[in-house]
Amino acid sequence: MNLAQQLINGLVLGSGYALIAIGWTVLLGAARLVNFAHGQLYMLGAFIAWFIMFKLGLSYFLSVPLAMLALGLMGVLLQAMMLRLVMQQNLTSLMIVTLGFGYVMQGGAAKIFGGDPERFISPLQNATIRFGEIWFTWQDVLTLVGTLLLFGVLWLVLNRTRIGAVVRSVAEDPKLAQLFGINAALVYIGVFVFECAAVGLGAGLVAPRTPILASMGFDEVILTFVVVVLGGIGSVGGSLLAGFGLGMFTALFGALVSPAYTTAAAFLVLLTVLVLRPRGLGAK
Amino acid sequence: MNLELEASGISVRYGGNLAVDGIDVAVPAGSMVGVVGANGAGKSTLINALAGWSRGTPMVRGSVRLGGESLDGLAPHRRAGRGLVLVPEGKGIFADLTVMENLALVRPPTDTTGRHVFSMEEIFGLFPRLAERRGHKGGMLSGGERQMVAVSRALRAAPRVLLLDEPSAGLAPRLVYELLATMRTLVDRGLSLLLVEQNVRATLELVDELYLLERGKVVARGPAASMKNDPRILEAYLGSLTT
Amino acid sequence: MKNLATPAALILAALAYFVPTVAGGAPVAYAACTTIAILAVMAYGADLILSYLGEVSLGHTIFWATGGYAASRLAVNAGWNGWATAGAAIVLSMILAAALGAATLRTREFVFSLVTYAAAVVAMEVAFNWSFLGGSDGIVGVPPLELTILGHGITGSSNAELWPIAWGLLMLTLLFIHRFRRSRLGTSALMVQMNPDLALALGVDARAVRFLVFVASAPISALAGWLYAYQRAYVGPDMFESYFLVLMLTAIVIVGRRLLLGPLIGTALIIVQQTFFSIGGDGDKIILGAVLAAILLLWPRGLIGVWDVLRRPRTTAR
Repeated sequence: MNLAQQLINGLVLGSGYALIAIGWTVLLGAARLVNFAHGQLYMLGAFIAWFIMFKLGLSYFLSVPLAMLALGLMGVLLQAMMLRLVMQQNLTSLMIVTLGFGYVMQGGAAKIFGGDPERFISPLQNATIRFGEIWFTWQDVLTLVGTLLLFGVLWLVLNRTRIGAVVRSVAEDPKLAQLFGINAALVYIGVFVFECAAVGLGAGLVAPRTPILASMGFDEVILTFVVVVLGGIGSVGGSLLAGFGLGMFTALFGALVSPAYTTAAAFLVLLTVLVLRPRGLGAK
Repeated sequence: MNLELEASGISVRYGGNLAVDGIDVAVPAGSMVGVVGANGAGKSTLINALAGWSRGTPMVRGSVRLGGESLDGLAPHRRAGRGLVLVPEGKGIFADLTVMENLALVRPPTDTTGRHVFSMEEIFGLFPRLAERRGHKGGMLSGGERQMVAVSRALRAAPRVLLLDEPSAGLAPRLVYELLATMRTLVDRGLSLLLVEQNVRATLELVDELYLLERGKVVARGPAASMKNDPRILEAYLGSLTT
Repeated sequence: MKNLATPAALILAALAYFVPTVAGGAPVAYAACTTIAILAVMAYGADLILSYLGEVSLGHTIFWATGGYAASRLAVNAGWNGWATAGAAIVLSMILAAALGAATLRTREFVFSLVTYAAAVVAMEVAFNWSFLGGSDGIVGVPPLELTILGHGITGSSNAELWPIAWGLLMLTLLFIHRFRRSRLGTSALMVQMNPDLALALGVDARAVRFLVFVASAPISALAGWLYAYQRAYVGPDMFESYFLVLMLTAIVIVGRRLLLGPLIGTALIIVQQTFFSIGGDGDKIILGAVLAAILLLWPRGLIGVWDVLRRPRTTAR
């Protein structure tokens, strides 16, 4: 095993995990909403970008933003349907509803895009950079830079702007926010749209690594969950650190033990944390 | 008389329990109206209903008019935008946000006819403490400071009528007096204010008109000067002394 | 009224036995009825958690698959008969449930759901990669179910032969749920869900209740999986598919939570649609997911809520 190479792999994997998870952690922090369709949104993002690129013939760099836009629009629709339950904070029903949405997306994607695996190939995937023994692709660089950029911008928006303060106020107490003249329903829609678009970006950057399938998405939910719990619900910086930590862990575990059981191993880490701190590491 | 706030037939039902039973209440422009009563008389329920706001899911009836326009059916954030601004009892600000962020959450209205937009300078003039504390998180403030921020953010919304629910709860007597005296100053400058209080003495000294609530109904109502000698007020007053 | 309940239930149960015969006795009728009974039993396992604890377990596919794997692995490789494999399914699922229940003891709401969900995904990964369980190919050639006492009993693999067992299992499950609802554990569970403060005041140990209900629910889904293995004569990682998870949840919420016959009627509706009015596998997925979401969005109490609205159209008017 080449340690330096594994650390690079871990960094790249980790930035992908953090990127896929960020929408969820913001959504969970602001609306306490658990979206079980998250993995299917990732799948849809990948397929929509693939369709735009390979069936409509547009460039990769257009297909990803368009996929984000499509998912964002879908987010408006989905959240509008769930709004009543969200305002009532009926979290049990909401979880099951998102599970149902995810299943509809899975069936719908298989019907529209077919049940066979496809390859969503980015032009940067084959452009490699080598330093002696170590190598990585420009796609890896793009993913890493894109992730850091998104996290930086998000942190600034949440902590340094009025919109960020509005989101944090709704996260703390949506009822009180109403008295400040804030329309909590609008904030919920905005946050949900952000989740959808962010996971669309994640799919656009990360999905080129592996074949895409209408039935994929479960591992993404688990890894997202691990990132969110380790990083602390609603914590932007924590998610980034947790993403990188999990990436390193996965890379080293895959290299040293077995790549087939990496999700299982990540889950065991999660269980250990949860047994010790049932509300997650970030809980007060 | 020009009534800035006019509510009629307000009833609030929680489950099978009628907490407020057909109350009429009015706030003339530029005056301070107090609502007093024992714990559980329905004071907070009434003032929340005026703002269209509640932490539970009560059944509310009756109509509310602000500056002659009906607010019925409007969500609480819309009522706040129209200028009916409530400072709720207890937790009135966000603990995770700084003083400045709390104040900046409120957007001054676009249409300011007949409304006074309080500038940050004016607010820091009223509450100099807040200028020193502007970078502190809400959760780090003392009870008095929190109440100042809560009132300030309400003023930032340029209220036509300010609804104040038990601002004295949990505060030291000197702070209560200071805060209420500041509110009286604002009313003298033109603010219309509806104050719900358990502290009958302080309320009587400051308000123009007083309502006494018992079991969800108005049992006495009149100018503060004449209510001072009302036996029922004296009783409520004594009640508030013993608790 | 109460005196009539037991005979009425017995008559209904007996009538249920003849449903496939009345439906024409064709193989497809037996197949549909057997499948409904099996999947309904599977759903009752998750129902115990959702209806009575108020939590969403997304890990009951683990117990369902445990039953299937126990039956096929032990029948194929060790030649165990039906009683022995059923016993193994019960014991193994309870061990797994105890482990998962202990690990999730302090988690609630979405954390509980996510941990159980993650556990199911990991269990699928293990089943998929572990050659002991047949890996991705699964275990094929499960022999006919042999369930005899002193030489009398049933041996079979066709749906018509398995129907009496499926029916019996369903009736036992219904009896169990019925008893559970009246038991100390069942009422404590409801109290912990509805009024935790009261439960605490009455000295109910919420964690113990949650743990016991979780462990008690596992063998129900496991026995369904056990019979499913004999019905299909094959078991594979597809038992972890989200189809079964979504089916369980839909079956529970479609009619209404906390109704004894709710999950059975729900399962029957779904399987009848998929057997007789199917629009293709992916289309059926869309229907199932959409029904699940729509019920909770439109009538959170289930179809029974619609019935209430129809029955009393005017009393709820403002």
